[in-house]
Amino acid sequence: MLRLVAHRALLSVPLLLVIIIVLFSMLRLIPGDPVQALVGDFPVPPAFRLAIEKKYHLNDGFLLQVSSYLLDALRGDFGYSYQSQRPVLDLIVERAPRTILLASVGFAFAIPLGLVLGIVSGATRSARTDKVITTAALVAYAVPTFWLGQLLVMFFALRLGWLPTQGIGPLVSRAHGMSWLLEKARYIALPAAAFAVHEGMRVARIMRASVIDTLSQGYIVTARAKGLSRSEIIRRHVLRNSSLPLVTIAGYAFGSALSGAVLLETVFSWPGLGLLLVESIRFRDNMTVIGVVIFSALAVIVMNLVVDILYAVLDPRIRTQR
Amino acid sequence: MVKEQNTTHPAPCIIPFLSILHTGMTRILATRHGTLGVVILIGLACLAVAAPLLAPYHPFEQTPLSLAPPSARYPFGTDNIGRDIFSLILYGSRSSLLVGFGAATAALFVGGAIGIMAGYFRGPTEAVLMRVIEVFQTLPVIMLVLCAVALFGSSFWLLIAAVALAIWPMEARLIYGQFIKLREREFVAAARVADLSTTHIIFREILPNAIQPVIVQVALDASAAILIEAGLGFLGLSDPSMVSWGQLLFVAQDYMDSAWWMSLFPGIAICITVIGLNMFADGLNEIVDPRREIGGLQ
Repeated sequence: MLRLVAHRALLSVPLLLVIIIVLFSMLRLIPGDPVQALVGDFPVPPAFRLAIEKKYHLNDGFLLQVSSYLLDALRGDFGYSYQSQRPVLDLIVERAPRTILLASVGFAFAIPLGLVLGIVSGATRSARTDKVITTAALVAYAVPTFWLGQLLVMFFALRLGWLPTQGIGPLVSRAHGMSWLLEKARYIALPAAAFAVHEGMRVARIMRASVIDTLSQGYIVTARAKGLSRSEIIRRHVLRNSSLPLVTIAGYAFGSALSGAVLLETVFSWPGLGLLLVESIRFRDNMTVIGVVIFSALAVIVMNLVVDILYAVLDPRIRTQR
Repeated sequence: MVKEQNTTHPAPCIIPFLSILHTGMTRILATRHGTLGVVILIGLACLAVAAPLLAPYHPFEQTPLSLAPPSARYPFGTDNIGRDIFSLILYGSRSSLLVGFGAATAALFVGGAIGIMAGYFRGPTEAVLMRVIEVFQTLPVIMLVLCAVALFGSSFWLLIAAVALAIWPMEARLIYGQFIKLREREFVAAARVADLSTTHIIFREILPNAIQPVIVQVALDASAAILIEAGLGFLGLSDPSMVSWGQLLFVAQDYMDSAWWMSLFPGIAICITVIGLNMFADGLNEIVDPRREIGGLQ
């Protein structure tokens, strides 16, 4: 087990290296002048340009830039964001929990929703029920989350006035305890709902396939032969055995949450990592772009590792294979 | 199509392609989702082609009324600078469909080539190519595309390339999986013994037997590509010289409190297109792998 973890962790090091090198080469190829972007629409004084270029190593060779970035990154220094005048790591540490919060609340609703729909449509004897659920899931899965977000805002926030349109909380809040929590919940409700519909449908599709697969296994026939009732079979055999894909869902959760966050956070002005990426791309804040992408890649790598380990723990067949 | 798959002989060559297409069409029209999908897609293609005939206004023509609600004159209302949204949506179908199919086709060729090489040739080729695929799968899709488009500008062709960049790994994995499964089969060994060329074995022996799930994936890729393109448009990164649905939603974001029609109709257009493609893929899947439709205890 320990060997598996070490092996996978070692494999991911070159992966990260390649990602960093690709990013650096991409950023070097592009037109656009970061010093100009920093100053805005004014002419840049030559002395100031020189100072900035020296300070941020803008004119160093490619290899020198990459290697000095790597050395700094190992020490926990991911560069300085000249857009917001703060270290990139600070920005990421500030923004990441908000994206994680949004994703966790979203998944907290998406997973039960998807589980119920997926199991019912996979295990039902009525072809009609299955058809209705799969068609509904297919339609709901086609709705772009950001558009669903707009619709939710227009209906629940603007038309009915029940919930705030955007942001993570009021500018000034005097609420404490329970009412503080309620206030936060009002702000997270709409983005989380938009997120949950999309992800829930994905969970439902995966669960349905998994339940159908489990039902065709030999031990289900054995259970039938033993005289177990249908509901007993589903409760005792099907549920447990078809839940393994849930682990996979947990694994891709982070990656898809980050991807989804870019669009969803833009709709709701939710100040998380996604919005940070969009903003820093707009302002040519290259260090922040690199930082956010590396952080996301790292998160995906770690989650994949966790999924592999969980699989081995949960399924003895996988454990003995290695 | 299924018959060809189930016989132990590989499909001989690509000449009966048309007849396969014909049987495929007949079979997909026998499934409910497939029929709906085909109808939606053909309808959309007609609308896109006939956009200049059907649209009451030129997409960039500014009528005197801005932010007008839907009416007989402007069926879907007008936007903030007075353009007719109905006409914009008609023209927008062109860029969405082109990006969708263009990116899916590009992904099929790039992913296909890499998947075939990784799956057929063993050893270092396989190891290196699988690492490359892994790099692309580790990065969140939208972030990758976002960086590419934002950094290199958003011309129409670059957009297609960027979206293809995001979806080709799925295609590559699928074809890779098919190839490693098939390369050990008897008919491939027989072809090797018969001293047929590598190209012949890959394209005439293995590929026709590996292609069916790939076709399903292409349809799904096209729907993913349309969603990604809409997302890029929504972030304000689509080609400014072409109308696109995502771009309309990007503008609508600022007028949510006054003009719901600016957001509602382009969004519905995206949904219908994606639903059409997904249903088409569903129908294809049903005829390629009929087992999957069986649910419940037998």
